[in-house]
Amino acid sequence: QKVSLEVLDHLEHLALVDFRDLEGVERLQKAIQFADQLHEVNTDGVEPMDSVLEDRWCLYLREDYVTEGNCTKELLENARETVEEYFVAPPG
Amino acid sequence: VLNRRCVEAAVMTGLALHCHINKKSLFDRKHYFYADLPAGYQITQQRVPIAVNGSLSYSLCIGNKMSQMVTKTVRIKQIQLEQDSGKSLHDDTRSQTLVDLNRAGVGLMELVMEPDMCCGEEAAAAVRELQLILQTLGSSQAVMAEGQLRVDANVSVHHPGEPYGVRTEVKNINSIRFLAKAVDYEIQRQIKELGNGGTILNETRAFDSKLGCTVPMRDKEGKQDYRFMPEPNLPPLILYDAKSLPANMNHQQVINIDWIHERLPDLPSVKREKLVEQYGILPEHSFTLLNENGLAEFFESVVKQTQMKPKKVIGWILNDLLSYLKQHSLTVKESPVSSFLLADLLNLLEKKEISSTAAKQVLAELWKGEGKTPLETVKEQKLELLQDQKELEQICQAVIDGQENEVIVMVLG
Repeated sequence: QKVSLEVLDHLEHLALVDFRDLEGVERLQKAIQFADQLHEVNTDGVEPMDSVLEDRWCLYLREDYVTEGNCTKELLENARETVEEYFVAPPG
Repeated sequence: VLNRRCVEAAVMTGLALHCHINKKSLFDRKHYFYADLPAGYQITQQRVPIAVNGSLSYSLCIGNKMSQMVTKTVRIKQIQLEQDSGKSLHDDTRSQTLVDLNRAGVGLMELVMEPDMCCGEEAAAAVRELQLILQTLGSSQAVMAEGQLRVDANVSVHHPGEPYGVRTEVKNINSIRFLAKAVDYEIQRQIKELGNGGTILNETRAFDSKLGCTVPMRDKEGKQDYRFMPEPNLPPLILYDAKSLPANMNHQQVINIDWIHERLPDLPSVKREKLVEQYGILPEHSFTLLNENGLAEFFESVVKQTQMKPKKVIGWILNDLLSYLKQHSLTVKESPVSSFLLADLLNLLEKKEISSTAAKQVLAELWKGEGKTPLETVKEQKLELLQDQKELEQICQAVIDGQENEVIVMVLG
């Protein structure tokens, strides 16, 4: 199955990537084919896996204490443009 | 990393709303680009949220009389935990958006309701009750004006018996009053549009509080594809109950649903029932008491300190105290008349040392907050009721003597 131009445009727009040229599109095509091999496995009645660690992968619950912050100045330095402690972005 | 308090708040809220708590819930990434979402995705619970299938009961007054109340229910589809984005301020004049990232990443609870409500009044009443519940639980202060509680309304219309129409989502609703207005406006707008042969677009609209109408939001183009995927950094959230409690786990890492359930405070509906039962007041009185922050406590405090029956005290609380506070835009906490002072005054009335009219006069004086006690004010304004029978007779006799003609007319009928 070929990847249509419509799907390509949609993907480029969603992920903000640029598939640049035909070679890029072909590489994408091959990647999809490779991933499609997953469909060959029959997973009927099998619970999806969250991680290879299974039950040993525990969600760590953090206590509700403030342990860091108060670094406004440093954070704002990351931006090219700021206005009174706000970051500036294009409209909309 | 997930904050424990967020999970506890979600479980408490789920239990209070009679939801089924999912012992295993999952986290997902929702991808989209926006200036207030620095990571380009938001962590949410799209596949399996923490709580599902609950209900919220609320009351509505039918007609103008508060005495006719009807109970309605709205089903809660689910409660999910997710991350907040930053806050955007649109500066159209300078063609820019200002972004405040302070709240980005902070935990949120999103409550999704089923379309069981039919007008602005129902939506407002339901959200008001939700607000009271959240405040009672301590899950949130739920002040809409400060963005602690945000409400997006999904509105559609349809003819009875037909399937639901296309819905629009209305955002930028900043108060319960505006919620009712926005919903009612949107219902009317859709009815008009369909009546003119038009169609309703599945779009997002913003409520303009100044104009009292909804307008299309400019930045939504077509249907968004969020490319949901499991959040790789957060494993499933496992909750336990008394039966499934693991023996060897660190106490701080375990959340026991039953433990939380046992410690749920009395919800507003239960508090109201107790007030009615304990004090013999009317159901609508209990609503007003709970609707005003601190008023129920004030009432109970006065009742404790006075011999006057609660059924009589409630009149003074709801008619005199509350209307005064409303007139001067004061909260119960800011009342110049304390529960002690009011109880003191009501005791004078109860002991028949002053009349009810005199009591109101004294109260008016007490509002000035000059620190005088009720007794001092009574003495100052000579409002004491005459208790001496003889003196009373003399006065009455003098009046009758003076008005002899009228008296004869009265006696003759």
